[in-house]
Amino acid sequence: MRIRVCHLYPDLLNLYGDRGNVLIFCRRADWRGIEVQLDQVSLPDRVKFSDYDYIFVGGGADLEQGLVSKDLEQKGPLLIDAVEQGVALLSICGGYQLLGRYYRAQDGATLPGVGLFDLYTEAGRRRLKGNILLQLAPELQKEAGNHREEELGTLVGFENHSGKTFLGHSVRPLARTIRGHGNNGEDGTEGVSYKNAFGTYLHGPFLSKNPHFADLLIARALSRRHGVVDLAPLDDALEINAHRVMEGRLR
Amino acid sequence: MTAWWRLNSALLISRLVSGTCRLFRYPGTSLPGVIALKICPDAVSLMAPAYDRVIAITGTNGKTTTANLLAHFLRAAGYSVAHNSLGANMLPGVATALFRDRRLRGQSSSRIALLEVDEGSVGKVFAAARPDLVVVTNYFRDQLDRYWELERTTALLREAVARLPRVSLVLNADDPLVAAIGQGQAQDARYFGVLKDIQGSGSENSKKIEAVHGADPEIGSAGPMDGEPAAIAGLVNACETREGRFCQHCGTALTYNYFHFGQLGDYYCSNCGFRRPALDYAAWGLSESELLGMSITVQGRSGSGEALSASKPSAGHRSAISIRQWSASAAAPRQLKLNAPLRGFYNVYNILAATAVAVEMGVGDPVIQSAVQTYKPATGRMQEYTIGGRHCILALIKNPVGANEVLKTLIQTAGSKALVIAINDLAADGRDVSWLWDADFACLAHPDISKIICAGLRAADFAVCLKYAGVPLERIELVPERAASLRRLIAQPADKLYVLATYTNLFDYAKLLGHRGGGTEQNAH
Repeated sequence: MRIRVCHLYPDLLNLYGDRGNVLIFCRRADWRGIEVQLDQVSLPDRVKFSDYDYIFVGGGADLEQGLVSKDLEQKGPLLIDAVEQGVALLSICGGYQLLGRYYRAQDGATLPGVGLFDLYTEAGRRRLKGNILLQLAPELQKEAGNHREEELGTLVGFENHSGKTFLGHSVRPLARTIRGHGNNGEDGTEGVSYKNAFGTYLHGPFLSKNPHFADLLIARALSRRHGVVDLAPLDDALEINAHRVMEGRLR
Repeated sequence: MTAWWRLNSALLISRLVSGTCRLFRYPGTSLPGVIALKICPDAVSLMAPAYDRVIAITGTNGKTTTANLLAHFLRAAGYSVAHNSLGANMLPGVATALFRDRRLRGQSSSRIALLEVDEGSVGKVFAAARPDLVVVTNYFRDQLDRYWELERTTALLREAVARLPRVSLVLNADDPLVAAIGQGQAQDARYFGVLKDIQGSGSENSKKIEAVHGADPEIGSAGPMDGEPAAIAGLVNACETREGRFCQHCGTALTYNYFHFGQLGDYYCSNCGFRRPALDYAAWGLSESELLGMSITVQGRSGSGEALSASKPSAGHRSAISIRQWSASAAAPRQLKLNAPLRGFYNVYNILAATAVAVEMGVGDPVIQSAVQTYKPATGRMQEYTIGGRHCILALIKNPVGANEVLKTLIQTAGSKALVIAINDLAADGRDVSWLWDADFACLAHPDISKIICAGLRAADFAVCLKYAGVPLERIELVPERAASLRRLIAQPADKLYVLATYTNLFDYAKLLGHRGGGTEQNAH
């Protein structure tokens, strides 16, 4: 079995250990004997995103996000097409915002986004930051327990954003906040879930303390071409310990 | 008069707090300033004019070592220096150092104030202390939860410098983020950098330093990762974190003639012509054996201005002394050969920066050459202890580029090694530990590394990071508690021991190592 991974803008969107998210995804596939093909795709590259099984988009600084935002005017429709066809996608922080409908700055100016997710972000006055504990959305919880002995219904990580994101009606939140701010610090939601595409504000990197979600992503990525796959459980003692230590600190 | 009263009350209080701190064996590098500033918020701006020169050193990495080296050079030349040498580098730490230096009669006892300034505090500290010379070491990704992004950090410095009436800059030309600060400023700037020809023709037994990342066969590619799929090997070995790869003026990707590490090197923008400035101080001919050896070419126009006279301390106001103008008169370039008891390529930049300022201040070449040999590293800057006949090195790690340079120096040392790596996430460490995943810990999968003991508040996170970096599970141990982690380290049969710690762990490990070994503790104060 083979999995084709696209790391989008690795040279521009790599702010918070994002390389770690790609590394974790690839290693966990490799440990199960799945052959990993990893492509790094950036500004000048023209690719067919629907040829991939999984696409990762990280976060970046202002200058870099500006460059990406321009490039996405062309790549955006191809990304939407891929996700509509069932390609799995994970976007973090700035990447998550860029895939929404728009971003409204402090001065009211509106920057259009890709529109892959039905959500928008507006500039906030305070920085929402700190360690965060979430309850995974109920429909994802069971699925995230498929590839392990012990079920894990929570997500942990670190959030650091001033943008406040609000979800539209055609998407669902990834999780509900138990501790921390989440999407906007107001409605108790965090992240987004739409088909096989997800977005979240969590760093850490996100997948490092949430191996159950990493496996959910691998299974979703393979599902388009292979249907329901059975992933062999891995020895996650270190990952689960790190998850529990942070959960214990926040509860 | 009210200002005088406030300042003197604050001075008394700071003395009282300092004394109390000493009584309880608490370092008190910042607390006296915190409390005294409550009584006299403008204390720093009231005290700073008493100095003939106020020198500020800022940047991400190398601030402490550069400042300590410079203080050592200046003292060797006979100057008295007030200096926040213990790394407390925000406004309260600066205030503490100046209060400590102030006599109760209301004078400073030193002529030069040498201030290490946290890159997030340049606004407050520069406005109060009004430095007339600012040194910028480099800008790397560090503690993003505090400084957000580098663009913001560099903008902070630019604004702080622009508000100073008269200031000279000493800048790292090899870092495009730093060099861009000198452009468009009305102020004088001097630039330092490292040439491509870094290989010295040193003696037979001296080891050549390999500075260019990726060209080192010992790093990354060795060890058990050989059998890994190409995609994963590429991920773990690859991408050194590089900031500022895009032109700060026009956003075009910079082209490099060569890199040293991080984004440091010889670069240019093919679109707008932004490029590494001409070097006034250029290091080359590096060698490393027991000492770190290097040559520095000093361009003729440098160090030829009015030197700070070493005569009687002036009691007057600093503004009465003219800031010396750098003369444009060209003399022949000259060479300065230095040998320093330091390790690691990154220290070349620290020595270079300190030397540049000392030369600009009129310190003679022979003074610098002899002083650099007697320099003792500050706490946790590759500081050596001896424990049961074995060397144990304590090093600070706080961001990916700094950690990579420490790891590279460590891997290049022969023999088997055991490590404690202690990661905390308190405010001074940075609350977000994601940065660990941007450092090249994959080099620790090397067979010479027999054990890595993960300690600190985020020991659990770091163990996961090592696992995915490719370190075999049986070499990873989790012992979060400090003393217990050291006991485990000492129980390892390795030739050499290392403790790498983030900031808030550093001094406690230094204390524990001092008690255990009592050996060759080297401290700069």
